[in-house]
Amino acid sequence: MTINEFQKKLLAEAVEMGFEEAEVYYKKSESFRVMIFKGEIDSYETSEEGGLGFRGLYNGKMGYAYTEKIEEASIAFLIDSAKANADVLDEDDGTDIFEGSETYTKHDFYSEELAQVPTLKKIELIKSIEEKIFAYDPRIVTLNYCMLQDFSEERVMANNKGLSLNEKQNGLIIYISAVVKDGEEMKTGSFSKMTRDFNELDPDAIAKEVAEEALSNLGEQSIPTRKYPIIMRHDASASLLAAFTPIFSAENTQKGQSLLKGKVGEKIAAETFTLLDDPSHPDAIAGSNFDGEGVATQKRAIVSNGTLETLLHNRKTAKKDGVKTTGHARKPSYKSTLTIAPLNMYIAPGNKSKEELIASMEEGVFITSLAGLHSGASTVSGDFSIAATGFHIKGGKIASAVKQMTIAGNFFDFLKDIEEVGSDLKFMPGGYGSPSLVVKELSVTVD
Amino acid sequence: MIKQSIIENVLEAALSTGGDFSEVFIEDKYVNTMELQSGKIEKSISGRDFGIGIRIFSGLQCIYTYTTDFSEAGLINAAKRAALAIKGGANGTIHPLQKEIIQPIHTITQMPRTVEHARKVAVMRKANDIAKNYDERIKQVALRYIDEEQNVLIANSEGKFVEDTRVYSRLSIQATASDGIEMQTGFYGPGAHAGFEFIENLDLNHYAGESARIAVTMLEADECPSGKFPVIIDNEFGGVIFHEACGHGLEATSVAKNNSVFANRIGEKVAPDIVTYIDDGTLPNEWGSLNVDDEGEKTRKNILIEDGILKGYLIDKFNARRMDAEATGSSRRQSYRFNPTSRMTNTYIAPGESTPEEIIASTEHGIYAKYMGGGSVNPATGDYNFSVAEAYLVKNGKIDRAVRGATLIGNGAKTLQLVDMVGDNLAHGAGMCGSISGSLPVNVGQPMIRVSEITVGGTKGE
Repeated sequence: MTINEFQKKLLAEAVEMGFEEAEVYYKKSESFRVMIFKGEIDSYETSEEGGLGFRGLYNGKMGYAYTEKIEEASIAFLIDSAKANADVLDEDDGTDIFEGSETYTKHDFYSEELAQVPTLKKIELIKSIEEKIFAYDPRIVTLNYCMLQDFSEERVMANNKGLSLNEKQNGLIIYISAVVKDGEEMKTGSFSKMTRDFNELDPDAIAKEVAEEALSNLGEQSIPTRKYPIIMRHDASASLLAAFTPIFSAENTQKGQSLLKGKVGEKIAAETFTLLDDPSHPDAIAGSNFDGEGVATQKRAIVSNGTLETLLHNRKTAKKDGVKTTGHARKPSYKSTLTIAPLNMYIAPGNKSKEELIASMEEGVFITSLAGLHSGASTVSGDFSIAATGFHIKGGKIASAVKQMTIAGNFFDFLKDIEEVGSDLKFMPGGYGSPSLVVKELSVTVD
Repeated sequence: MIKQSIIENVLEAALSTGGDFSEVFIEDKYVNTMELQSGKIEKSISGRDFGIGIRIFSGLQCIYTYTTDFSEAGLINAAKRAALAIKGGANGTIHPLQKEIIQPIHTITQMPRTVEHARKVAVMRKANDIAKNYDERIKQVALRYIDEEQNVLIANSEGKFVEDTRVYSRLSIQATASDGIEMQTGFYGPGAHAGFEFIENLDLNHYAGESARIAVTMLEADECPSGKFPVIIDNEFGGVIFHEACGHGLEATSVAKNNSVFANRIGEKVAPDIVTYIDDGTLPNEWGSLNVDDEGEKTRKNILIEDGILKGYLIDKFNARRMDAEATGSSRRQSYRFNPTSRMTNTYIAPGESTPEEIIASTEHGIYAKYMGGGSVNPATGDYNFSVAEAYLVKNGKIDRAVRGATLIGNGAKTLQLVDMVGDNLAHGAGMCGSISGSLPVNVGQPMIRVSEITVGGTKGE
């Protein structure tokens, strides 16, 4: 049974079985991944997969089910499961299925050129990067990851209210982590890059970046435990932003799980802070012309010069708050119900380079990476206390790497304490971007 | 799930270019998830995952491919395409498949798929009421119920043919307390390799009550001081610290390539005499338990550290080649989408002789971590970090004020050397462990232990 036949039959049968509205979401993807270890292919992976999510309105309530087994027998499984799941819900919350936006942007998230790059060329690239890293400095003892991965996927959304959308996307990711050793001191440095342009990957530049990142962490010194002014490098800032993104979700404010409840229109951050979501930003790789409900996406300011402009909404939360959806319904997979999330959210860049920011700091800590965000950051209270890697700044210069440390503070205070925003905006593979930020102070505890 | 003759043909196609080992992993999994928030069932979704993973070895090269296409032609094509990554050679040998009947160690009395939603919801509502009514400052309770029935078939070119059914049930409770200005949360998530009987028999007064109590306690807590302190880590989920700090460093994934501080140190003293560290996938119905691992090997009790001496590692079939060692029944994967590798199951510190009262009474000034949050480790360096969900100061041998925002950092190998007391109250806690072969149910466990010095990061300063 082809997927088209399956979809048509499923939608028709759903209506026959009493669903008032019904929708299918199908995704198929292919991927390739290679890991290199000391010049040899250590692991080589390929995949071809697909799965289908169904949702339907039954007695006014939305039932969900999914399957990866596309065969006739699965139609009954989906319909019966979705009915049982609708039945168990406590109330009809006004959710319904969307008939479609009037217009959609036609941004292209698929590169034909990338799709045509031969496998051998990709393997040669990652092998040559590995070789160049080892050649860069004898203190590089091993790479604990040296990986290249690419993917392509196609999403289809169709419902019985006339919506029919599809989109293709591809991309390539490189992830490398190098281990360096000097005497008894051992440090790592990692690198990740996601792109749709194979030709922009320069093995010499990547090797240099990985090696320098790891080597710079050697020669660590302890500094006193106390509060310090902080410069947070673009990638560390982006990962902190990603961890705290749930505070901007209207679903969380409505459930009393975010302190931004009732704060739209108010100052929540420093004047220098502007937060944007741009589904088709040219430097970002995650994007889409439509959200998880089929609503057209568009560039939006979430925070402008410190003022909270809007929360992130889907159609259900928008209805509840009496506003229009912002197109932030997210269906991470056909296996999930709808959640709320941005596509490419980033902090708008300022004018000064990272070097200028460092040069203008008398004493402080320059943070380059964070760890333990999944457990050490509470989106409910805003408190964070997390492990960090970084450097001691003295007299406008990097003095030394700092021993393992934690930084602690509260994200709501952090937003208000941003003093300067750098010009070095970069996106992380997950679709979050930030420039480097200067923050008044955070508690720093050094091992 | 798929005819044996098709599996044989796929195993053969996978070896057509000179591979020396091939394996097929078929997974058919049913999942139910329900969420209750603000007193209402808000989300309920059911699904079926179905796919096939094919693995080929050629010396120290490993090829993996997976597909949701279950037709014979689709599977043979996938195997052949994967085999193209190997540069020629004679066809590998296929041994006739010999079906192994496994004696399940983990009894399941109520398959979750046969239990109607209403009974599951009833438990959720009861837990919600207990947490909500604990204190008027509890403003929100979020519950998540999940059950999974994972049917697997594992066959390989050495003649292995094993089928197994794994059933998981878990109830996670998160309570949020607020005094109108601040908000704090408390969490408890009991889980087991068991059916609905586990959910129905849960002591909800304990689990839901504790999640609410933690949230309220943290609302009243002081900021945590920073500095180096003796730290007492309580039993059960407290074991997460050694899961991160040592467990990951004992997995062949990092040992085989010398990316671990524990590599090449079997027989060496890596911990004080009072420390014995064990990974045991056979504990009946525990969250991290399995009948067979994801290569079809029987799970076992692996002693990793005995009386402070490093005894062994957790090894999968592929890394066993690089290490010239035997696999230890420790190969796991989240699903057919993941190439399996060595992972933990139920890992714990064996009980010692001190009573919890003795440990606290003998600590003059330190931190007591009653419940741990999560953490992570850099396996190459062993540097770890953990958040403490509920912490207290210890003063003059007594538990003092509650403190919040505590994070523990340090180096696994060094912290292990600093364990100076081990309690007699071993217990296990359920968690999810994320690593290269995906997110897996694991238990962490320990009795109460004390570490003479850990760096505690807080907001209060020294």
